[in-house]
Amino acid sequence: MRNIYLIFRRDFLGYVKAWGFWLSLAAVPLFLVIGAGFGYFAASSSPVRYYAVVEPSGVIAGAIEAEFARSEARAAAETAALAADMQVEVSSDQVAAATPRKFIQVAAPATTIEDLRPYLLGEKTVAGPDGDKALFAAFLLTEGGGALQYWSTDVNVTTLQYAAETAMRDLGRRDALLAAGLSADFLKHVDGAALPVTAFRLRSEAEPADGGSEVTMADKAPAIVAGALAYFLWLMVFSIIQYLLMGTIEERSNKIFDTLLTSVKLPELLAGKLLAVFAVTSTMMLSWGLFAGAGSAIAASQSPAMMEMIDPFIAAATNPGLIIPALVSFMLGYVLYGAIFMALGSLCDTIQEAQTLLSPMMILLMLPMFAIFIAFNDPGSPVIDYASWVPLFTPFLLILRIPQDPPLWEILAQMGLMAVTTALIVWGATKVYRAGAVHGAGIGDLVGMVKSAMGMKPKAVKE
Amino acid sequence: MGVAPLVMSGATKRFGAFTAVSNLSFDVPAGQIVGFLGPNGAGKSTSLRMALGVMAPDEGEVALFGVKPDIRNLRRVGFLPEERGLYKKMTARDTITYFARLKGMTAADAKARANELLDATGLGKFKATRISKLSKGMAQKVQILSTLAHRPDFLILDEPFSGLDPMNQQTLEDLIRAEHQRGATILFSTHVMEHAERLCDRIVMMARGRKVFDGTLEAAYETLGQGARIAVEHGFDLAGALAPKGFEAHRAADKGPGDSWRVDMPKGRGAQDVLRAALEAGAPILGFQPEEARLRDVFVALVGEAEAAALDVPGAATEAEAA
Repeated sequence: MRNIYLIFRRDFLGYVKAWGFWLSLAAVPLFLVIGAGFGYFAASSSPVRYYAVVEPSGVIAGAIEAEFARSEARAAAETAALAADMQVEVSSDQVAAATPRKFIQVAAPATTIEDLRPYLLGEKTVAGPDGDKALFAAFLLTEGGGALQYWSTDVNVTTLQYAAETAMRDLGRRDALLAAGLSADFLKHVDGAALPVTAFRLRSEAEPADGGSEVTMADKAPAIVAGALAYFLWLMVFSIIQYLLMGTIEERSNKIFDTLLTSVKLPELLAGKLLAVFAVTSTMMLSWGLFAGAGSAIAASQSPAMMEMIDPFIAAATNPGLIIPALVSFMLGYVLYGAIFMALGSLCDTIQEAQTLLSPMMILLMLPMFAIFIAFNDPGSPVIDYASWVPLFTPFLLILRIPQDPPLWEILAQMGLMAVTTALIVWGATKVYRAGAVHGAGIGDLVGMVKSAMGMKPKAVKE
Repeated sequence: MGVAPLVMSGATKRFGAFTAVSNLSFDVPAGQIVGFLGPNGAGKSTSLRMALGVMAPDEGEVALFGVKPDIRNLRRVGFLPEERGLYKKMTARDTITYFARLKGMTAADAKARANELLDATGLGKFKATRISKLSKGMAQKVQILSTLAHRPDFLILDEPFSGLDPMNQQTLEDLIRAEHQRGATILFSTHVMEHAERLCDRIVMMARGRKVFDGTLEAAYETLGQGARIAVEHGFDLAGALAPKGFEAHRAADKGPGDSWRVDMPKGRGAQDVLRAALEAGAPILGFQPEEARLRDVFVALVGEAEAAALDVPGAATEAEAA
């Protein structure tokens, strides 16, 4: 154990002392903060824009204005509800200030597009509540009223166009309803009269159902937690490839193996290295998790509703029925893939050589990722049932199947299969690692080694 | 006298169809400095790796301190591999401390020992310097110190002098003598015979994976007896001229006027007999010097000139074996 600790400690400190580790550690929170800040800045710095509607009746102008008013009312209601959840008192002025109007209708300074052109191009301005500005856009009703043209110099900002389209659709419906002798609110009444469809989950008698049979977040949380764990395992395996390849190449190119192998046993060396990489990736992911957890805790402390939302996930994550098989799958899956990558890394002399291995490794890792996607959408799919017996997929898919309550014998059998496969892979990886580290075998010798292990021809790895 | 640190009995190692070491038997008695000699590719490194348990022999047995090599008895061994390498991002002190700890020292003892060794070898001011920032010679010194740090009972040094400049070679010779005086048994491989002549109590000579000599330096010299060096005008066949008179002459690589030859003297015949025979044979003599035999000459006599030439050409034998 002491030697494993010493190998682990040296490798771990070697990784965390590198700049790249700290850059990676800071990248995710920094990305989230910058992303959120950028979004807020983009929203708050968006300018107030003027638009005009050219049509004689004023009906279309009124409809577009009404659509904006509806959007504002929806946003204000959401803001007020959030404030109430967070038990923060806000005035109606503060609510209005949180959802400022970005498009303001002004009187049309001309009635044809030719005459409107200088206003749209910014050569002339129009007066409005936010001072004199150029027109951002103008709507013109075509002769005969067959279409509403939208003119602007910036067609990438589509909010105004979509608001007008929604307004026109509502206007059309209202006219149609009125023509049919129905009130404008007829559809609302119809929607309100629809039969509600409520989801229930049939529970066994042994299963507690404190909240009745109605499906709640507590029913969905185990599948979401299982999915997150499976994805976390995949992400961790994905992250270790580079560490294991580069770390092993460094030792091989620095000719350290002989010195190490006269001080520690090969399994100790492998265990120490695997643990170090596990600790590095865990440190990284735990740091990110703590960042997210701290954010959630702050949100939960501000809002009882948020706490209610988080509770089922905490309950699912601490349920032994899920977490024990998940942790077993997680550990065995990590060791299984880690041993494969480390063995392959021991066959490479250079980073270039290792890079040629990255593509097949990525393909190998994409296979479980596809299975995770399928399992996430349809955990009961027979494909997942069958695929979960393939040892390379088992660690991921067993985690995903647990919330579906598969038979206990299947869980135990798949855990046993994983254990046996992992033991075999570690045994083979140790052989390959020894051939690479001690005998200097390369990628080209891999086929020969496999044949040798299968007794097809004698080992011919040259020193 | 304690148990022999190393005993190899009939050790054989093959890589596919190639036999790297064949039926090798020798022992390293406690308290001796033993030279393991031979050209590159003779099987020295493979033998040493078998001695350390890094690779197992296909046939035969290896006993390290009386038992099969394992991590426990390897803690009593300090090993310097032929292919040097350290973690480039570690400091000199951390490197020595790390390897000493792997050999069982406590963190405090290992650190103190690292400081002591670095100060003693003039590397004190580079304690906190990364290996990548050290010169090649300094890095090699750090690796040698890592080998000695845990005060091993048995030092196995694979080509320890290669890559060192003459000053550092002398420093290493002094270190080896100091370790020997401390009580350590030392086995080192080299293809430079002069180091063995200066340091060893015993030598084991290897060629093409086989042991060709095992004994003391005196015994090695006795295989040749005395000799003499004769320089003759270029093109004169001294070997042919002296053969009828019962002397065997070999071309030598000495620099100087004309062609240099070494003439072996059979027991009972002296330098004057050689000189007389050469004059009688009409040799155009440019120089004459009676001498004691050298290890290289012993090796030449044991394995032939072609094989011995590989002593001076690193990698030549390896290529020959690969072919």
